[in-house]
This record gives sequence, structure tokens and C-alpha cells, in this order.
Amino acid sequence: MTKIAVQIDDLTVAYNYKPVLWDIDLEIPEGVLMAIVGPNGAGKSTLIKAILGILKPIAGSVSIYGKSYKKQRSLVAYVPQKGSVDWDFPTTALDVVLMGTYGSLGWIKRPTQKEKKAALEALEKVGMLPFKNRQISQLSGGQQQRIFLARALVQDASIYFMDEPFQGVDATTEIAIINILKELRKAGKTVIVVHHDLQTVPEYFDWVTFLNVKKIATGPVKDIFNDDNLTKTYGINYKVSIQE
Amino acid sequence: MSSAQLEIQIIASLVAIACAIPGTFLVLRKMAMISDAISHSILPGIVIGFFITQDLNSPLLILLAAITGVITVVLVEYIQKTGLVKEDTAIGLVFPVLFSIGVIMIAKNANDVHLDIDAVLLGELAFAPFDRLLISGVDVGPKSLWIIGSILFITIVLLVAFFKELKLSTFDKGLAASLGFSPVIIHYGLMSVSSITTVGAFDAVGAILVVALMIAPAAAAYLLTTDLKKMLILSVVFGVFSAISGYWFAHWLDASIAGSITTMLGVLFLAVYLFAPSKGIIAVMYREKQQRTEVSLLTFLLHLKNHDDERERHVNHLNEHINWQKVRSKTVLDLALKNNMIRIDNKIVSLTTKGDEFTTQAIDYIMTNEDSQIEDMKEDFFLFRG
Ligand SMILES: Nc1ncnc2c1ncn2[C@@H]1O[C@H](COP(=O)(O)OP(=O)(O)O)[C@@H](O)[C@H]1O
Ligand SMILES: [Mg+2]
Repeated sequence: MTKIAVQIDDLTVAYNYKPVLWDIDLEIPEGVLMAIVGPNGAGKSTLIKAILGILKPIAGSVSIYGKSYKKQRSLVAYVPQKGSVDWDFPTTALDVVLMGTYGSLGWIKRPTQKEKKAALEALEKVGMLPFKNRQISQLSGGQQQRIFLARALVQDASIYFMDEPFQGVDATTEIAIINILKELRKAGKTVIVVHHDLQTVPEYFDWVTFLNVKKIATGPVKDIFNDDNLTKTYGINYKVSIQE
Repeated sequence: MSSAQLEIQIIASLVAIACAIPGTFLVLRKMAMISDAISHSILPGIVIGFFITQDLNSPLLILLAAITGVITVVLVEYIQKTGLVKEDTAIGLVFPVLFSIGVIMIAKNANDVHLDIDAVLLGELAFAPFDRLLISGVDVGPKSLWIIGSILFITIVLLVAFFKELKLSTFDKGLAASLGFSPVIIHYGLMSVSSITTVGAFDAVGAILVVALMIAPAAAAYLLTTDLKKMLILSVVFGVFSAISGYWFAHWLDASIAGSITTMLGVLFLAVYLFAPSKGIIAVMYREKQQRTEVSLLTFLLHLKNHDDERERHVNHLNEHINWQKVRSKTVLDLALKNNMIRIDNKIVSLTTKGDEFTTQAIDYIMTNEDSQIEDMKEDFFLFRG
């Protein structure tokens, strides 16, 4: 049996006492490339934030390879939604990627040549090396997303959480990103992606979780990605035959 | 220049530096309003501190007043968290209440407290050199110099130690939290430093100048640089420049020093706001005009590419056809010619090889929505911009 990378039990999360995630139970096996799908406001971003300890749940627990997130921080990398930061912030592409190394550095210590080298390699991997000294507001949406991906790569984690990495990117970038994600899976990493485009789920992912306040279903794409679950998640009668 | 004059300028400059550092992060966190709130709501803290210590310069008073500042932030966030009002509304609810409590406390005890509201709001820098610090009978300089100097020293030590953490949590709170750098701790650290600086500075320069010194230099620096370290340095330079020039301005006008420094800050910010090379109003307007001309140019080139028919490419027809006024057609035509994008033979316009290549690439990028690529491409092809 494969190991469980992320285990979530009875998780309930609320903003201002209004629950937006109800009693979620979820097991994510090691080595999957998993999409989280659900309508806007379904709580997808909230779920990731709760797993990463950014939000405190009102009930339930999360474990990463059997231990609390706090103990396993170094195993996890996170790519927030692009819109969650201010791209006018005075900093360069390279500097943003370097932020990925801060976790392993800990408090007070500064990045050294070693971290810088790792950051440059990550920039190279996402094809952004020529832009390393660009101010981040001078990058296109797709380039900004690549920078975020590079920042996660530099963390060299076992589990990657990505919140809508394909949002507002061009076709070339989308292909470049998915290829890197597939490479990560091949290297045995677990990759969890909040995804919007239902059309591409079967092509990109091997595992899927349907979420809308509650967990609707989770499992291999080939078994559970069907009209029935889509209808349960999106409310309307889903009659797209996405699968061939 | 007398030693008192020199001391006033040094104090004003130290206050400016001590304010510019937290101010830079407040501006980047879009929290300029909170410094206004802190500067007013520390008043009850100062009054209570004064009752206890009977000394406006006592460290205990500074600490008590700074705690009031942090309490303000907590209250604002608490009200905001109820989700009933927005942040600026919450700020507007909290600080007038605390400030008026301070005012009432002063009024009620007017006989035993020689504190007045004017002094709190405007301070009196001119008197700062008269209140000396004596250590076993030896005069070591004005008290406010020592107070603000110590606060500045602590601020710089904290800045150097936690620069990375401050930058990360200001840019990306979510990542900071997931990496274990508690944004809450960093947030309250910054709020504490801002509060202590405000209290330490208010006696010398008053609450209004403190706010101006925190926000105006940082906001001006923000318009001039795309590097956080440079932004910090520029804020400091702007703050010190305003402090010293404001001092001499006041000297010349025989006016309030704090008022003159605030005026200098306003003038400086306005100048930067207008003339900053890429983010200033004039630069932005110029760029918009340039963009409009360049879009017209592209439209024109696409038209040429789409029409082989000579009649469509006749100079006279362009005005009617693309529906442009004469001036615009002429600007666009000139720009295209200067960039070697077109050729005109017998009033018939045609694309040069370079023009054709440019247009083809532009179409590609438009189809794939890569707007930024078009900008890069303009760099490659254009000899002259619109
Ligand atoms: N900071 C917040 N305060 C209050 N409500 C929030 C906050 N963030 C998200 N919500 C609400 O929680 C719900 C889930 O949000 P989110 O997790 O962002 O959804 P998704 O990522 O699936 O679009 C939405 O109804 C949203 O309005
Ligand atoms: Mg979301």
C-alpha cells in the first residue's frame, strides 16, 4: 500500500464564525498529481490555507506523513493564488524566488551564495533566467506565475500545494507549468493543485477531489471524474461529456 | 549657527530617520492610516503615564503610551474582524474615542498637568534643547536627543536583524505563515516600533509631524524605486532633507518648525508625484499618449498588411478610411516612416520588410494574448517611440 502524504480528519474552518468548510475527511496518497475542483467560493483556497496552518481550523486535524504540519514544514511548498500578493512591491524576480529559501534558513539568517545559486537554478528551470533582475510588476501574468513556481521549486519539498497556477497564463506557460508538475510527480513528489478548467482535468491529473463546502468525492480521475460528481459539486446538471 | 540650532536639526533628523523606517513598511502594507490612529490615540497613555511618573521623558511613560498605540491596533482589527465595517471605518471609530478620552483627562486635571493639546499635536522643537539630560551633574545633551537616539538605535538593530522577515511578510503573508514566520508576531512588532517611535517623537515634534514623517518620505520613495533597500534609504534621505530644510525655512519665516517641516514634506511629495520618471503623473500621461500613438501605428500597419489594393493604401484614403483626423494620420505616418516600417512611392504606402516582420510578430502575440511581448518587441524594432 502507498503511503499517505496528507491526512485530514473532521476539518471544519470558519471565517467570522461562519463555516466555509464542513467536516472534511481526506487522504491524499503519496505521489499523486491531484486537482481540487469546485465552484468559486467552495473553500478550495481555504482548505489549502488550513492544511498549511495559515488559518486555524475550529475543529479537526491535519497531518503530513503522520505528524503535525509544524513539524513537517520543510517537506511542504506552497504557491498562493497570484492575486493574493501586491505585484507592485519593490523587488525583483530573483528576490521573490529567494524567498523560497527563507524557510530552511530560519529567523534572522540571510540567504548566501548557496541559496542564490539554488534560486538561479529554479529560475532556469521555469525559463525565467533572463528576467532575474526585472521588477516583478514588469512581468506578464504568465511570467509572474512562473516566478511563483520557481519559488516553490527552490524549497525542494516533498509535497507541493498550488492555488490556481494556471489562472491568467498564456498557453505556452500552461504547458511549461504542467510539464514541470508532471516531472515532480515522476520524481515521487505529491502535487496538489486547485484547478478551474474542468476540460483539462483528465489530461493533466491522475487524482481529483471534488469540493464544495463539503468533500463530495476523492479518488483516481479515471474512476470518479464523471457527470454525477460534477453535478453534485457544481449544483447544475452537468452534461458535458469531458471524457472520451 | 548656535549649538541650540545644531541640536534642533540633529533631533529633527533623528526623528525623521526613526519615522522613515517603520513608515516604509506601513506604506508598503497600505497601512498609512494606522499611523494616524496611533499618533492620536496614544494621548490617554501619555496622560496616564504622566500622572504616574510626573515626567514627560520617562521611559515608563513612553512604554505606557506605546501600549495604548498597540491597543489601538488590536481594537481596530477586532472591530474589522466582526465583518461589519471596513478597516478605514474601524480606524475612524477607534482613534477619536481614545484621543477624546485623553483630551478629557487633560481638561479635568488641567491644574496639575502642564500638558496642552496644542503641544501634543504640534510639539515644540524649538524648546527641545532647553530640557537637558544631566548624568551625575554633567550635561550630556538634550533629553529628547537621547530618547529619540535610543529609539532609533533599537529600530535599526531590529531592521537589520529582521529585514528578511519584514520583507517576506509584507510581500506575501501566506507564504510567511506557511514557512513558520508568524505574520502576527511581525505585524505587532512593527506596530510596537511605530508606537514607540511615535511616542518618543511626539514631545519634540508633535503628533501631526510624526504622521507626516512616517508616510510622506516613504510614499515619495515608493514612486522612485523598485528596490526595497533603496526605498528605505531614499525615505531616510527625504526625511532628513525635509527636517533640515524645514528648520531653515521656519528660521527664515520665523514660523513653527514642525509646521515648516510638514510643509517641506508636502512640497517634496508633490514634486515627486508629478515628476517621478516612471510612476509620476507626467510620466504616466506621457506614456499613455505614447501608447495611444503606438496602438494607432499597429492598427495602421495591420491595415496595410491586410490590403494589397493600391486604392486602399493611398495616402489620401487613409484619413477617410481608418477614420482618423489629419493630425493623427500624420503623426502615425511620420512615426512609421522614422522607424523604417513603411515606404511611400507616389503617395502609395507599403510595408517595408522590417514593417512586415514587425506586423506579423505583433499579430502572433495579439492572438496569444502576450501583451508584454509586444512591449519587448517594440524595444527591438523601434528606433523612435510614439
Ligand atoms: N478572509 C476572509 N474573510 C471572510 N470570508 C472569507 C475570507 N476568505 C474567504 N472567505 C469566504 O470563504 C469562502 C471560501 O473562500 P475560498 O476558500 O477563497 O474559495 P475558493 O478558493 O474555492 O474560491 C467564500 O465564501 C469566501 O467569500
Ligand atoms: Mg481560491
